[in-house]
Amino acid sequence: MITTSHVWLRRSATPMAIAAIPAILFILLFVFYAGWTIWTSFTDLALLGRKSVNPNFVWFDNYIRLVTRDGFLASVWTTTVFTFFSAIVGQCGIGLLLAILLKNSRFKLKSVVEFAILFGWLAPDVVAAFMWNAFASSDGMINVMILQPLGFEKVNLLNEYAIEVVIIANIWKGTAWSYLLFSAALDTVSKEVIEAAYMDGANALQRLRHVLLPLLRAQIATNLLFVTIWTYAFFSLIYALTGGGPGRETEVLSIYMYKQAFDVGKLGYGSAVAIAMMLIVGVLSVFYVRQSKDQTK
Amino acid sequence: MTANLKKSPAQSVSTNVLLAMLIIVWLSPLSWLMMTSVNPNPSGGFAVPTSLTFDHFLTAMSGTSLRQFLNSLLIAFSAATLTTILAALAAYPFSRLNIPYKNTILWSLALLRILPSTAIIIPVFLTGRALGLLNTGGVVLVLTLMNLPFAILLLKNFFDTIPPELEEAGYMEGATLRQGLMYIVLPLSRAGLAVIWFMAFTSAWNEFLFPFLMLRSDQAFPMAVGLYAAFGQYGATDYGFLTAYSIIYTAPAIAVYFMLKRNLTTGFAGVGVKG
Repeated sequence: MITTSHVWLRRSATPMAIAAIPAILFILLFVFYAGWTIWTSFTDLALLGRKSVNPNFVWFDNYIRLVTRDGFLASVWTTTVFTFFSAIVGQCGIGLLLAILLKNSRFKLKSVVEFAILFGWLAPDVVAAFMWNAFASSDGMINVMILQPLGFEKVNLLNEYAIEVVIIANIWKGTAWSYLLFSAALDTVSKEVIEAAYMDGANALQRLRHVLLPLLRAQIATNLLFVTIWTYAFFSLIYALTGGGPGRETEVLSIYMYKQAFDVGKLGYGSAVAIAMMLIVGVLSVFYVRQSKDQTK
Repeated sequence: MTANLKKSPAQSVSTNVLLAMLIIVWLSPLSWLMMTSVNPNPSGGFAVPTSLTFDHFLTAMSGTSLRQFLNSLLIAFSAATLTTILAALAAYPFSRLNIPYKNTILWSLALLRILPSTAIIIPVFLTGRALGLLNTGGVVLVLTLMNLPFAILLLKNFFDTIPPELEEAGYMEGATLRQGLMYIVLPLSRAGLAVIWFMAFTSAWNEFLFPFLMLRSDQAFPMAVGLYAAFGQYGATDYGFLTAYSIIYTAPAIAVYFMLKRNLTTGFAGVGVKG
C-alpha cells in the first residue's frame, strides 16, 4: 500500500491521498473516454435520430468500411504527404539546418531570425490560418508581390495549390520547436570532435553526414517522434485555412474524422477513424523509438 | 564555428544571404499583419500605409469581439488555475509517497499526453450534451482534462528536485503538514507552478477544436473561434478589423513566452536528452 520513507509524512499519507483524488478522477475520466471511443467504434451510434439512442453493436463493420470505401484511405495518403513534407522534411530538416547554421555564428541578425521563426510558432493556429489565407488569396501578398511582377496571372493559390499552401503554412508555423530542440542538443556536442574532423580534412558536408548526424541521432529521432505525432493529428490550422477543401484535397485524417462524426453524424464510424489514426501514430512511434535505441547497441 | 574552422568569404556570404532570405520569408506575414492593422485602406496585398489609424483596434476592442476577448481570458484563466491546483495536489504526494505501480502510472500519464484530441472528442461531446455542459464551463473542464497529465508529470519532477531534508527540518521544529507546505514547499515551487500555469494558459488560449465543437453562439466564442467565424463566413473580408483582432489575440501568447523563456529552454534541453 501507500507508504513513505519520510518520517514527517507518516501520519499525513491519508490527507495527501485525499487531496490527489480530484486529479485522479480527471485522469480516470480521460482513460474512460479513450475506452468509450473504442467501444463506440464497434457500434453504429449516430449523432441524431433513432440510432443516437439505440445504437447496434456492429462488430468490425466500421473498420471494414475504412478499407473498402475510398474516403479513409485517400485521407491517410493526404495526411502522410502532409506529415512527410511539412513535419519531417520541413520542420525537422529546416530546424536542424538552422540550428547548425546559427550555432556560434556571428551573423548579426541571429536574434531576428530566432524571433521570426518563434513568432510563427507562438501565433495561435487560427491567426496563422488567417494570415496564410490572406496571403494566398488572389489579391494577397504572394500574388501582388511575387507572381504579378514576374508576369503570372492572378491565381487563388488556395484553390489551385491547396496542399502546397497548407504544407508551407505548417512549416512556417512549426519549425521553431525543432529549431529550439536541436539548438539545445548542439550545446551537448563537443567542439573538439568537429574540429578533429576538420583537421582530418572533412568538408562541411562530410562533417555533417559522418560526425554531426550520428552524434545527434537520438535527438533527431526524438524530435521526429514528437513532430510526427502532432502533425499526424493536426486539426486547427488546416481546418481554419481550407476546411479540407477544395473538394477533399486537404482533408487530413483529423478533419475527415471530424466531418464524418459531426457533419455526417456517424459517430461510430468517426470513432473507428480516430482509433485507426491512433494505431497508425502508435506504429510510427514504435519505429522511431527503435531507431533512437539502435545507437546504444 | 570556432577560430579553427574558418569559412571562406564566399561561404559566409552565402550563409548570410540565406539567413536574410529566411528572415524575409518568415517575417512577411507579421509585417503584413502590422501594416494592415493600422492602414485606413486595408487590403490582402502588401502596402505601406500612407496614414495611420487605430480605428481597427478600437473596433476590435468593442462589442462582440471584446466579449470574445473576455471569453478567451475567462476560459484560459480558469482552465490554467484549475489545472495548476489539481496537478499540485496530486503531484506532491506522487513525489513524496511510495505508491504502488508508480512507474506504470507515470508512463500512462506520458501516453495520455500524446493522445490526440480526436481520440476523446466523441465521448466529450456526448457527455457534454447529456449533462448540459456544452458551454464555457464544459470547455474549461475539457481543457483541464487535456492539460492535466502533462502538468502532473512536470510538477512531480519539479517537486522531486526540492530536497526533503528541508521539510524534515521543519517537522523537527514542530511544523505541521500544512505549515510545512505553506512555508517550505510552496515558496520553493513558485517557479514550477508558474510554468505550469502559463503553459496551461497558453494552450487553452490557443485551443480551437473543443470550443468550436462545444459552443454555438458568437457571444460565447473565445477568440480562436471568433476569428475563424469572421474570416470564414463573409465574402468580402474586412482585413483591417481581422488583422487588429489577430494582433490582440496573439500578443498575450507571445508575452507569456518571453516571460518564461529561460524555464522553457531548460525544458527543451530535457526533452532532447531524456528521449
